[in-house]
Formats: sequence, C-alpha cells, structure tokens
Amino acid sequence: MMKFIDSILNFFKSLFWKQEMELTLVGLQGSGKTTLVNVISYGGFVEDTIPTIGFNMKKVTKGNVTIKLWDIGGQPRFRGMWERYCRGVNAIVYVVDSADREKFEQSKTALLELINKPPLAKIPLLVLANKNDLAGSASADEIIQLLDLKSIQGREVCCYSISAKNSVNIDITLDWLIKHSSSVNH
Amino acid sequence: MVVKKDDDESELVFENLEKGQVIQEKRAFNETPVHPRKCSLVISQFLYLLSRGDTFTTTEATEIFFAATKLFQSKDIPLRRLMWLLLKEFSLLSQDAIIVISSLTKDMTNPMSLYRANAIRILCKITDSFILPQIDRYFKQSIVEKDPHVASSALVSSIHLLKVSPEIVKRWVNEVQEAVNNKSNMVQYHAIALLHRIKQHDRLAVTKAVSTLIKGSIRSPYSQAYLIRCAVEVIEETNTEDPVFYDYINSCLRSKNEMVAYEAARSICALKNSSKKEITSAVSVLQNFLGSSKSTLKFAAVRTLNKLAQTNPAAVIPCNVDMESLITDSNRSIATLAITTLLKIGNESNVERLIKQIANFLDDINDEFKIVVVEAVTLLSQKFPKKYKHLILFLNKILRDEGTLQLKQSTLDAILTVVNNIPESKEIALTELCDFIEDCEFPDLSVQILHLLGQEGPLTSQPSQYIRYIYNRVLLDSGIIRAAAVNSIAKFGLLYEPMKEKVIILLGRCLLDEDDEVRDRATLYLQLLKQNNTRELTRLLVDDVPVPLVNLQKSLEHYINDGDFGQAFDLGSVSTVIESMPSPILEGKSSKQTSQSGGVTPKSLSTESNDGAPESYSTKLAQIPEFSTFGKLLKSSEIVELTENETEYVVNCVKHIFKEHIVFQFNCTNTLNYQRLENVSVKMIPSNPKSVKYECSIPIEILNFDEIQSCFVAIRYHPDNLPLCNFKNTLKFRTKEIDPSTGEPDDQGYDDQYSIEELEVSVKDFIQRTFVTNWKEEFAKLPEQEPATFALVSVKNLNDAVKQMISTLGMAPAEKSETVVPKSNKHQLFLSGKSLSTGALILARARMILDQSGLNTDVELTVKSDDQNLIDLILSSF
Repeated sequence: MMKFIDSILNFFKSLFWKQEMELTLVGLQGSGKTTLVNVISYGGFVEDTIPTIGFNMKKVTKGNVTIKLWDIGGQPRFRGMWERYCRGVNAIVYVVDSADREKFEQSKTALLELINKPPLAKIPLLVLANKNDLAGSASADEIIQLLDLKSIQGREVCCYSISAKNSVNIDITLDWLIKHSSSVNH
Repeated sequence: MVVKKDDDESELVFENLEKGQVIQEKRAFNETPVHPRKCSLVISQFLYLLSRGDTFTTTEATEIFFAATKLFQSKDIPLRRLMWLLLKEFSLLSQDAIIVISSLTKDMTNPMSLYRANAIRILCKITDSFILPQIDRYFKQSIVEKDPHVASSALVSSIHLLKVSPEIVKRWVNEVQEAVNNKSNMVQYHAIALLHRIKQHDRLAVTKAVSTLIKGSIRSPYSQAYLIRCAVEVIEETNTEDPVFYDYINSCLRSKNEMVAYEAARSICALKNSSKKEITSAVSVLQNFLGSSKSTLKFAAVRTLNKLAQTNPAAVIPCNVDMESLITDSNRSIATLAITTLLKIGNESNVERLIKQIANFLDDINDEFKIVVVEAVTLLSQKFPKKYKHLILFLNKILRDEGTLQLKQSTLDAILTVVNNIPESKEIALTELCDFIEDCEFPDLSVQILHLLGQEGPLTSQPSQYIRYIYNRVLLDSGIIRAAAVNSIAKFGLLYEPMKEKVIILLGRCLLDEDDEVRDRATLYLQLLKQNNTRELTRLLVDDVPVPLVNLQKSLEHYINDGDFGQAFDLGSVSTVIESMPSPILEGKSSKQTSQSGGVTPKSLSTESNDGAPESYSTKLAQIPEFSTFGKLLKSSEIVELTENETEYVVNCVKHIFKEHIVFQFNCTNTLNYQRLENVSVKMIPSNPKSVKYECSIPIEILNFDEIQSCFVAIRYHPDNLPLCNFKNTLKFRTKEIDPSTGEPDDQGYDDQYSIEELEVSVKDFIQRTFVTNWKEEFAKLPEQEPATFALVSVKNLNDAVKQMISTLGMAPAEKSETVVPKSNKHQLFLSGKSLSTGALILARARMILDQSGLNTDVELTVKSDDQNLIDLILSSF
C-alpha cells in the first residue's frame, strides 16, 4: 500500500519538478565509456569509436530527469584529470572491460587512486562490467571480488554486468542512476 | 586602498580589478545550472586581466582553464564565444590543455559555422605534431568550406601550424589551392598567404605558383598587394627575365585601389632593375598620393620617395612642388620626411630656404626625427660645400637646443664630417663649438670638441682666440675634461710657435691641479716644451696610434703577463688586423657602425672591424695539434669573402702566415635549414704548384643549419720563394636532408661539391704594416732606388688611387699622407711596412697624378728596403 502511494507521489512530483543530475564516466582506455554514452543518448551502438582525447560532454533527458554526462578519456595522460571532473557530481560511473582480464589489476589501482581523493568522499560509485557479450567475460560477482569492491567504505557502491553493444542491463543502470539523482542533491 | 570614484568617471568598470578576487569568482563556472550572464562577466574579467598584463602562475591558469571547460555544456552563444576566447588565451598558460581536443572536434561537427571557426582557432594553439594527424581531416574540410569565417580560421591556423608540423600542412596544398577560388576576398588573401608559405623553400614552386596566380583572376586588394610582394620576391631571388612579373606589378600601378597601387609603386622603387620608365610612372602614382587628403597615404608616399631619393634623386624631382607644400603639413612626420627628401634632391638655390624652414619647426619634432634631419644635412654638405656656413649654423642650433646625448653625438659627428670635408668651414665651426663647450652638459662631447680644437685650432688664421675657451675648461670643469683641455693647450704650444711662451705659463698653472692625470699631463708637456723636444711632443700629441686599440691592449696585457721586461715593448709586433670570428649576419651591422663613428675617431685604416668578441687567432690555432709545429703566427690577413652573402653556403677565408707555412681558415655557414653537412672541406688547386707543398687539411665534422665553423688547409713554402699564386677552391661535403618533424638527418646523404671563388696569395700577405716615427728621415737613409712608373687604369680620383695603393701593398700610410687635399690633381703617398720573414724595413713612396684624360691615374712608385728581393716582388705586383 505504501509503495503504491509512493509511486503516485513520485508521479505528481515529476510533473512539477524537473530533476537534473550530473555523472562522470571514467575507466581505462577502451573500456567503452564513449560507446556507453552514445547508447544512452541515441540508443544505438556505433562501431569503431576513436579514442577520446580529453572529454566529451553530453546532455540526455530520460523522462523527467536531465542527465549531464562527462565522458573523460581513459588514456594514462588523462587519468590525473579525472578528479577535476568528478568533484560534486551525483555519481561516478567506473567502466571496466570485463573481457580484458589482464587489465583488472591496473583498473583496480586507477579506481582506488581516484576514489581515495578527499574531495570525492561519499559520492556514490557505480562500477559497470562492460562487454559481457564477449566470451570469457567476468561476471558482476567476479568483478566485485577482483576489484575488491567490498572493501570500499563510506559510500554506496554498486556493480552491474552490462553490454553497451547489445543494450543488456542498460535499463537497470539507468534506473539506479535516476534513483541517485535526488539522493545527494537534497 | 580603493578610491571610490564619481559615477561619470567610472567608465572603466574593471579598473580596480584584483586577480585573486577574480580567480575566486571562477566557481561560477561550476554552478548548475550555468548562469550565462554571470559566467560571461567573469570571463570578461579574466580577459581584461590578461590584456592588462597580469600574469598567472601555471597552477592558477590550469585551474581557470579546467573550470572553464565545464562551460562546454552551455549552448548560450555569447557565453560560448567568450569561453572559446578564454580557452584560447589560457591554452598556452595552462597544463594539459589537450583535455579540450575531443570537445573541440565535436564543435567542429556543429552545424553552426561559429562553432567550427572558433574551435579551429583553439585547436591550432593546442595541437602538436602527434595530435595533428588525428584531427587533420577537420582542417582539410574547413579549408574548403564556403563559409568565409570558417575557411579563414582554418587557413590562418594552418599558417601557424606550419611551424609545428610543416609536413602535414604541406599535404593540404590541394585544399588550399581550392580556397584561392573562394568568393570571399579575405579567404582568398589568406589562402594565397598560406600557399606561398607552404612553397617558401622551393623557389621553382613559388615562381610557378605566383605566375599562375598572376594569370588567374585575383580581385581582392589584399591578395593583389600580397601577390605584388611575391612577384618582387621571385624577381629578386631568381633574377628572372620573364616579363610576366614586371607586367603584373606595372598593371597594378593602375589599380583603383590605393593600397594596391601604392604597393606596386613601392616595389618598383625598391627593385634594382626597374627601368627608368617604370620608375617615372611609379613616382607619378606616389605624386598623386602626396596630394591626398589621407595622412597615411601622404606619409607612405613621402617615405617611399625619401628612400628613392637616396639612390635616385633625379627621379624624385618631379614631386618637388608637391613636397614643398607638405613642409607645412600638420603631421610632423610627413613634414620631416618631405623636408629631408627635398634636401636630398635639393639644388644650390633653395638649400638656404629649406634650412630656414626646418629650423622653424625643429622644436616640434622628436629627437629621432631630428637625427634624420641631421643626417640629411650632412649629406647636403657633401653636395653643396659652398653652403657650409648655413649648415654649420643650423647644426649648431640643434647642438645647443635641448636633446639627448644620442642626438647631440650625431650632430657633433655631422659637424666633424663637415669640417673634415670642407676645410673652409673650420673656423666658423670651431668658433661655434667654443661657445658650445662653455655650457655643455655631456663630458663626452666636451672631450671630443677639445680634441678637435687642439688638432685644428693652431692651424687657423687666429689661433689665439681659442685658447681662452680651452683654458676656461681647465678652470671650470671636471677632471676628465681638464685633462683633455691640457692636451689641447699643449698642442697649441707645439703647433703654433708664437704662443709657446703663453702655453708654458698656462701649463705651469695646471701643475697644482687636484687630479693626478691632469697634473701628470701638464708636467710632461711642460718639460718637453721647455726642452724644445718637438719630436717627442709630435709623437705624443699629433700622431695617431698606428694599430687598433683592442689589439694594442691585448698585446700590452700579454707583455705584462709574460713578465719579461728585459726587452722593450715593440709597437710593431701588434697585429693591425682586428681579430674576430667573422659572422655574415653581424658584418652588415658592424660596417654600419664603423661608418657612423667614422667622423669622430681617427680612422684606423685597418681592415673591416667586427663587433664580435675578438678572439685571438693565434691562441685558437695553437690549440690545433696539426699546426703546433708551425711556430709563431706572423700575420693573419683580413677576411676575404669567397661567396656572395645570399648563397646556400657562405664561405670566407682568413690567411694565416707562419714562417714556412700558410694556414687557410675557411669559415663556412650553412644557410639551408633542411640540410646538415658533414665532413666539410675545401679542395685548393694552386696555379703554381711548384712553389707550395700540401701539408694537411682539417674538415668540419658536422655543420648544422645557421652554424659557422671553420675548416683548415695548411701548405708549406720556402721563405726564399714566396708562393705568390692563385688558388682555385671547391667546397666538398656530404649533405644529409633533415626530417623537419623529427629534426633528425637521414642516414644516407650524398657527396656534393660547390665552387667558391678564387683566392690569391700576394706579396702583401708577407708584409707587416709598421709604423715609423719619422718617415722622411728613414726614407732618406735607405739606398736610392729606381722608381717604377705605371698607370692605375680607370681610377678616376686620387682618393680611390690612395685606397688601392694601400690595399695592394698592405702597408701602413705615414705622415697622414692618406688624406688627399680636395680638388688637387696630384698627391704623394708614404707607406711603411716590414718583411714578415726577415723583418727588413720597407718604405714606399707613391707619387700620383691624374692623367690628362682624367680617366686613369699615373703612379711613380719608389720602394726602398735593404732586401732587394722584396723590392722586386713588390714592384712585380703591379
């Protein structure tokens, strides 16, 4: 019963309040950040994206929520600049190539280095194990274990296994994100 | 403290802006949602700070830059424009500016041309040779865009990128060609400029491109003006006979556009090979501009005419009337140029009037222009020696008015030049200068004038009138001036017998001076005067030091350091060549300096001087092991140019003479920036192989662009049989192309050679200039010799004859015989030198007379020496 009233309330809320949220996508190069942004904004998969030199900015409207996406290049020379674009966002989305097992260790180091920065404390973290369509890709549980996500304290952490190419689990990802659009802002 | 201003005064809203405060304000960029007006204001403030000259540390700049990147989310056009501006300005100050590349390339695909044009201008600042290949297609696309804003941005950016990565930009040449046909004038202009720069290093390609463009339909004035410059470049560099370039320039002369017509006229005036007819039509175009209502046009025209008047005064005469009306122009720069031009082309009758007119507005112009006027007046004195009185009075007026030291020095130099050239002007000039030193604020000038007074005063009709002025300096001025005055007074005693007694009294009064130098000088001169030791006094007071002061100082330092004072210092051992490493770039400059100072310092007749640090040749050569056994360096010749200065490889040579060896030092410069030369050497073929033996050759290992290095060739000769012959020379080397993107040379390279001019070893290389105190006595002492007579063909005046004799014989002029009395038709030149190998004294007397046709100079040369062999050799050099 409470659930029902909640949803009605949310419905009315959405009529009057346009919500806005800001996300930063980071992760090693080639993990599929730009592809994911394209899938979210256009709903289509584009083969052969060129490496991002610097960052891309995209604004996407889903229902009553406007999402600002900062998609930052994953090459080593840009990693030092991740933090600048993560400050004050609603959530940090960390994309991992789940099929490239050799890079997990590197990915873990880069993630920890980023989220241990004091200005980024408490910001929710969503880890996406991308490319689950490829053979030999690690599952969400494996990723949680390999990246030692359980050890992260003081913030909400979630991990999904997705495929940007085949639009698998993109819906639950969006749901999670939209859920967090208001949680920090208010 | 911030002063609160009235409302009507606060036009500059940002006047009291503080950097720290504005940096705080940048948080506006991070706000969600973005407030365009607020952000725009902050960006404006940053830009204001930058243009005001405030500096930002790298950390600050980086913070600002990254904060501003947040604004890429905004679609507000005014804000976007400001953001681009800010990013462009800070991209060079900030670290990691490449962060915006992806976002900018996204802007490149935006349908709005504004986005594309601005993005490309920032991209050009951030891109390096690694990133450019990745975004090069955006540039190609933009260059051929129809939209002029975008196309021009891309073209202008490409010009900048040529410096970063020329190879890649060169690949866009087809697109640039296409942009030349763009309908917009601006785009066409930029495209032509880029095209020219892309082909810059390939003369043939430039020639071809320019001649194609000339035939095409280039309508925009900017493009036309640019093409004229290109055509001039082609004509000057290739010496082409192709009339197409000249025709184009001439046709532009008739352009309705003033800029184009002016550019064409200016080019014709500056070109060396313009025909008389072309210059006449160019001058008539300029003449039209003189009557224009626009100041800029008038200024441009008069400036060009002024330049032309230096080389071709006759061509400017038609503009006489127009320029006279410009003398009263309210713009002083135009008026000054008009007057100096008129002075250059002036004739005897209107000089006085012109001088008067300039004097009237002299107070209104600044010192820089006054120097221009002074120089023009100096030239005038050579043309119209009869007007010296007006000129001297005019120069004196400038000298006495307020002015900088630089202006006064130029003016004094000018007066000295006039005095040197026109003996009649001496007395009036001296009188005026006497007045001037009574109240002169610059000690340098006073000293120079006192020197002149001492030198020239005693020889005037009334020497006694100057002594009072000079003695006044002793009473009233500082030590350095008093010392100079004492010298001056002593000269009067020496050179003007009737005043000797008075001078002795005056010098006696200086004996108690508080300054050591003044006292010393007075004591010395007083003693010598009392002893009547004319010879010593002459040596001290009148004769110039016969060697360059730099060398004298060096030799003296050397002498003192050696600590061997058993032998007296020999002035003859001081080299007369100013030693220095030659630099083709510096040479032009230094020769100008020498000519400027020529009026003041006693002219040392040594070779051309160089202002580079004089490094001693002998120490340099001694460091080369191959030459260490050659013994003491006896003489280094002056620099002999073996190529033109504009050629690919510039080579000049210095001959170093040792007792039994000659070392040829070839100074080579590589002027090609895409080449590296290795193993550079010179092959010398003597015309008389028997007299020389090849000893060794030391090549240059690596000669990079714009570097000067020396390679050496050493030969051996027998002192009894001097190797007087010519050498044919070839520069040999291995050349390697430099890859401009990496700066590395290719591996292979190929052997190449380059002919340079012949080099002569003549008798003068074995003669040392020497200085003898009493030339006439010494000459009489030596055994009589038969004179040789010959003619210097087509030497039409005695000054040139004197110069030629001195340079052919390599000996030093004595008794001031190098100055020819103006307008006389005969002259005697006394020369002294000594043999390098035996040290035998050589004295030569040349009696010169212009022959009846006035085209040649007849010379009767008597050479005297104890070394008969040497005499024959010297005479054989004519």
